[in-house]
Amino acid sequence: MRRFVRENGLTLSFGIAFLLALAGHAIAGHTEFNNQQAADGLAQIGLGDYLMSSDFAVDVTENWQSEYLQFFLYITVTVWLLQRGSPESKEMHKAGKESDKEQRVGRHAREDSPRWAGAGGMRQAVFSRSLGLVMGTIFVLSWLVQATAGVSAYNEQQLRQLQAPISWGAYVGSADFWSRTLQNWQSEFLAVASMAILSVYLRQRGSPESKPVGAPHSATGVEG
Amino acid sequence: MYRGSVRTVRRTGTLILASLLGLALGGCGSAGERSVDASAAATEFERLLSSADFKGLCAALAPETRSELAESEKTSCAEAIAAQDIPFGGAVRKVDVYGRQARVVLESDTLFLSQFRDGWKVVAAGCTPRSGGLPYQCTIKGG
Repeated sequence: MRRFVRENGLTLSFGIAFLLALAGHAIAGHTEFNNQQAADGLAQIGLGDYLMSSDFAVDVTENWQSEYLQFFLYITVTVWLLQRGSPESKEMHKAGKESDKEQRVGRHAREDSPRWAGAGGMRQAVFSRSLGLVMGTIFVLSWLVQATAGVSAYNEQQLRQLQAPISWGAYVGSADFWSRTLQNWQSEFLAVASMAILSVYLRQRGSPESKPVGAPHSATGVEG
Repeated sequence: MYRGSVRTVRRTGTLILASLLGLALGGCGSAGERSVDASAAATEFERLLSSADFKGLCAALAPETRSELAESEKTSCAEAIAAQDIPFGGAVRKVDVYGRQARVVLESDTLFLSQFRDGWKVVAAGCTPRSGGLPYQCTIKGG
């Protein structure tokens, strides 16, 4: 058990932090929702009802989609785009998908390589892109849920204000949808750009996301 | 919002995907049922209106709408609603339900309703749409 925790500390700690933050968000969001209901002279709702509401769903998924977009783009764009001096980048001459030998696929697969790395055809093609595919799929699904829950939450607000509801199509072209979407995207893009460039000149001793403290600023693709 | 390790997230992908789908489906839950209930409440409101049951009409209103009506007319709710020119709406033509709010479009009127512990209550009645996305103009409304 202790060994399991030690070997999975990163996933476990962030997983627990995620659940705690989600619980905190649920409680704060529920209070905020009921404050709005009270201000409009409408009925209060229980926490369970709030957790099943479109209001909660849209708030959660608008953040999820942007996080998975960030990972999806970072994973795929760094195949081709480089940043000299950054541990987040490959070395300058490695832009692209690299050779089968470098990637240990096909006949270059080793004993301990995943089975699909050694397989040819579709299995190798899928496995070679599986990380990006999964991240991209979660992004698209999260964004779809945001759009679906978003139109419901938006229309609930419209009805509360005695205004007509709008269609899903009108909602995905609306200021509310794009405001929710882009306010999240901008922060993700800023964080990635900051990480790429700051890691050229700054260090975090012991972190695999940083170069070793004594590594030169010009060293690219070196992780601590 | 900070980009953490790619490796950290990969393992939880399936779990998160399942949660997402659950959230999406859960959110859509009992919309059909709520639509039927909101429609029934609107139909009952119209029945009370046609039989001039003013006490019944007041009971069918949301608390805020009821008190707003009584305060603005400086009399009881039943007397106040009797003095209002709320049109007979007729049959239900369209129901829109989102969360705990509903709009019921009748043949000659539009009602806005909200879900309370004891069922759907009328928040606004005698409503006509206005152009430019402005709120409906309503004969009675809360707030």
